Amino acid sequence: MTEKRQIPIQLPVLARVEGEGTLELHVRNGAIEDLRLRIFEPPRMFEKLLEGRDYTEVPDMVARICGICPVAYQMSAVHAIENLFGVQPGPWVRDMRRVFYCGEWIQSHSLHIHMLAAPDFLGFASITEMARQHADEVRRGLRLQALGNEIIRLLGARSVHPVGARLGGFHHAPARAQVDALREKLQAALPDAEALVRWTAALNLPTEEQEFTVVSLRHPREYPMNEGRLVSSRGLDISADRFESQFVEHQEAHSTALHCLHDGKPYLVGPLARLNLNLDRLPAPVRNLADSLGIQFPSRNMYHSIVARALEIVVAMREAIRLLGAYAEPSETYISVTPRAGTGYGCTEAPRGLLWHRYDVDAAGVVRGARIVPPTSQNQARIEEDLRQSLRALGVRQGDAALRRRGEMVIRNYDPCISCATHFLDLRVRELTRA
Amino acid sequence: MPDRVHIIGVGSPFGDDRLGWVAAESLQRSPVLNGLEPGRVVISILDRPGAMLLALWDEADHVILIDGVRSGAVPGTRHRFTASDVTGASIPATSHGFGIAAALELAQVLENLPDWLLLRGIEMDAGYTGFTLSAAVIAAMPVFVREIEEETLSLVGATHLFRSKTASESSFFAR
Repeated sequence: MTEKRQIPIQLPVLARVEGEGTLELHVRNGAIEDLRLRIFEPPRMFEKLLEGRDYTEVPDMVARICGICPVAYQMSAVHAIENLFGVQPGPWVRDMRRVFYCGEWIQSHSLHIHMLAAPDFLGFASITEMARQHADEVRRGLRLQALGNEIIRLLGARSVHPVGARLGGFHHAPARAQVDALREKLQAALPDAEALVRWTAALNLPTEEQEFTVVSLRHPREYPMNEGRLVSSRGLDISADRFESQFVEHQEAHSTALHCLHDGKPYLVGPLARLNLNLDRLPAPVRNLADSLGIQFPSRNMYHSIVARALEIVVAMREAIRLLGAYAEPSETYISVTPRAGTGYGCTEAPRGLLWHRYDVDAAGVVRGARIVPPTSQNQARIEEDLRQSLRALGVRQGDAALRRRGEMVIRNYDPCISCATHFLDLRVRELTRA
Repeated sequence: MPDRVHIIGVGSPFGDDRLGWVAAESLQRSPVLNGLEPGRVVISILDRPGAMLLALWDEADHVILIDGVRSGAVPGTRHRFTASDVTGASIPATSHGFGIAAALELAQVLENLPDWLLLRGIEMDAGYTGFTLSAAVIAAMPVFVREIEEETLSLVGATHLFRSKTASESSFFAR
């Protein structure tokens, strides 16, 4: 007998996730027969919108893809196009781009930990419910998030869809006094961030371990953000321009977001993937903090993602403090760029994981083709794999409410940005035979 | 120290959802508000700040939030709510995910509400899309802006600066 149970998790019920999706579960004889994370948010066609636009417009256009991680979109775009044009913007721009990215990691991770993930692990439906019993922790989270936003504003003029970045550098350099004031705030808040790490590690997280491949950037010296080679836990080590030879996107009928596979299999990107592959790139104080938590990294427990996020907040705060401490106002905030025809590739670490861009540009600097592979597309198959294993472990004979709760918790743990992932439209034109 | 007012226009570029921005921009051009002592009135324009609203009003004694409202009322209806109206369960919803109601409820739990908070809104036209405002909201805007301007002047003790009713409201609402 077939028992078909569909668990509808639809807006506004799929709460605390960016975008619109549904989880469908089909059960036969007590076993999961089919499971689909349906993403039905309309395709946004950003790649098509970029075609025909001048290269100078790209950073501001791609920033509009996401209100949470606009810096990541800008950084992958400028690196891709600068790689094509053969541009090296120099150390000031490099450092400030890293600071800019630190701001985004701090705000995005703080938001996810406190508003989206932690209520799951503490048994609350929302941050507001959680705040009734954990007011100090929520205040701390909001303070950290605000600091991340302040860093983005410092270089981007505003924290949502910032406008400060451009090809070759930034439009504007902040004044030294402004930088010093923010650096002092970051220094004062560092104990908050370290306490947050210990708080997340002390949460009563599920202990289930899973087998999965992790993929992230890896840099010769730094914890990766803007630069590095693509590496995996299975020995992959390639440059960004070879991404398409190893990672293949395909469309599933049930989703407007593409699924991306590595060697035909799901894989994980994001904070836990980065941490698992870059433990030796953590600044020493952060490594010591990680080692003191009683958690064995690299970890196969997906729920350690919340701890990885908190550790990355500390990484970002320490990096921002270090780089802003050496700040000097530059004579030029950007270098001039001359267009060159060809294809450029860029890959950076968005808060949610790898964000890969490719641009085909003509000799006049007009974009002729664009391809953007966001982290949620890359994690989508892994999320479905995790759901199958987690719901099987929970027991599908549990009631719908329990399955829904666990399913939502699994999905939220990846911090998916469904709005980012729905770029694609499979347009099929059927030609009619003329009479 | 004299009372300070923070006016916050919330919205996005799309259709009537931008009415909070348009109203705040109009208030930024207000000659009487601009004539006040610097720092008495701060006007911000924000794109769906969510929980970050809480970080914005630390310095202010009074906060006026401006946003689009969907309550089922006739498009163009001007709304005025206090914090206690908005933090209830059956309030008119704004157009944002973690909207103003959720932010205010969180602020209440964290004991971070300003001394006095007002939400001003205009009923959006649910059937309208575009990059300007609907006709109903455009028609409501001049009086709406005047009301907020006068309430702000009252809050800072400057009612003598109320504009004459003969001032051209259509030119005041220039966009």
